[in-house]
Amino acid sequence: MRYNKTMKLSPRVKIGLIIVLLIVLFIIVNLTSFSKEVKNFFYLISSPIQKTLWRAGDNLSDFFEAISEIEKLKKENEKLLLKNQALTAENARLKELKKENEVLREALEIGLEKEFKLLLAEVTGKDISQDALLINKGSKDGILKDFPVITRQKALIGRCGEVYENFSKVILISSKESSFDAKISDSDIQGLVKGKGNLKIFLDLVPKEKEINEGAIIVTTALGGIFPEGLLVGEIKKVFKSDIQPWQEAEIKPAFDIKELETLFVITNF
Amino acid sequence: MKKILILIPFFYILTLFQTSFLIHFNVFLKGGFWGYALNPILIAVILITVLEKPEKNSGIFLGVCGGFFLDIFSENFIGFHILILLGLSFFIKFILRKYVRTPIIRPA
Repeated sequence: MRYNKTMKLSPRVKIGLIIVLLIVLFIIVNLTSFSKEVKNFFYLISSPIQKTLWRAGDNLSDFFEAISEIEKLKKENEKLLLKNQALTAENARLKELKKENEVLREALEIGLEKEFKLLLAEVTGKDISQDALLINKGSKDGILKDFPVITRQKALIGRCGEVYENFSKVILISSKESSFDAKISDSDIQGLVKGKGNLKIFLDLVPKEKEINEGAIIVTTALGGIFPEGLLVGEIKKVFKSDIQPWQEAEIKPAFDIKELETLFVITNF
Repeated sequence: MKKILILIPFFYILTLFQTSFLIHFNVFLKGGFWGYALNPILIAVILITVLEKPEKNSGIFLGVCGGFFLDIFSENFIGFHILILLGLSFFIKFILRKYVRTPIIRPA
């Protein structure tokens, strides 16, 4: 009986003994290669299930991550769109500046600025049926009625008609309202250039005895004081002679192409 | 004993689920308790220990099993999780046996 009492351990001692035994067991297991063998065995039998679970977890977490980042991506997208818009606007502005620079450079090269006082203007509207253009310079920029308008190649476009504060209407030389004196380049043949509408120009009042060749260049004269001398009007396209009339007439092909007009020069002083 | 034998494979699958599937969900790592991922083994051991009758010891055995599986599939030495879960089970059992009295409704 006495022996039994001494052998019966209290629960606390039991627990303590179990814990000590476990710790000793763990130390032994971890210090020997046994732990590696055990782990290797479990890895071997678990790898197919692990692979499947890993793939499933990966896919599912990607899905949830995408959902959680939608808001972030939306904000980022909006930010990038705004940035893109700003850059596009800047790019367009720089392109405009480049174009303007090229035009000015070309004008400098042909020495336009030495002959006249020029003002660069951009075409903002075209009214081909009325033979008129709208440019982005007006009275605020010093433009007055009847100021000549030319291209950078010194080709005559027309003259300013109505002048507004910020815009001006340019009456093309092909307009029915337009008529001015001109001559054939390198000759003394003079005549009157008249607009007939629809981008058609004619050289009129040329004496019949004068010989006009097709392809001859027409330039302005200082006569009349509307335009400065030597501006390119166009070239003779077709000559019309009649026995009845004392004058001959010739159709002129304008020196400018209305479709390609973008930047012009207004001569403010000549 | 039967319950323990059934729950051992369940704990094995649960460990694989925890270490291969739940590990991907960073949300548990970021907002988790002390930076740990969700630990279903720990939860299962706590639940079994709490819900079983105070005189039963299944929770303690399953704590050892769960800890063993966690140790196998973790970088820690074998015994790390066993000791934690064993200690936790003992602690819960101690509290339940000493300080908690569950009302038992006997059929009339």
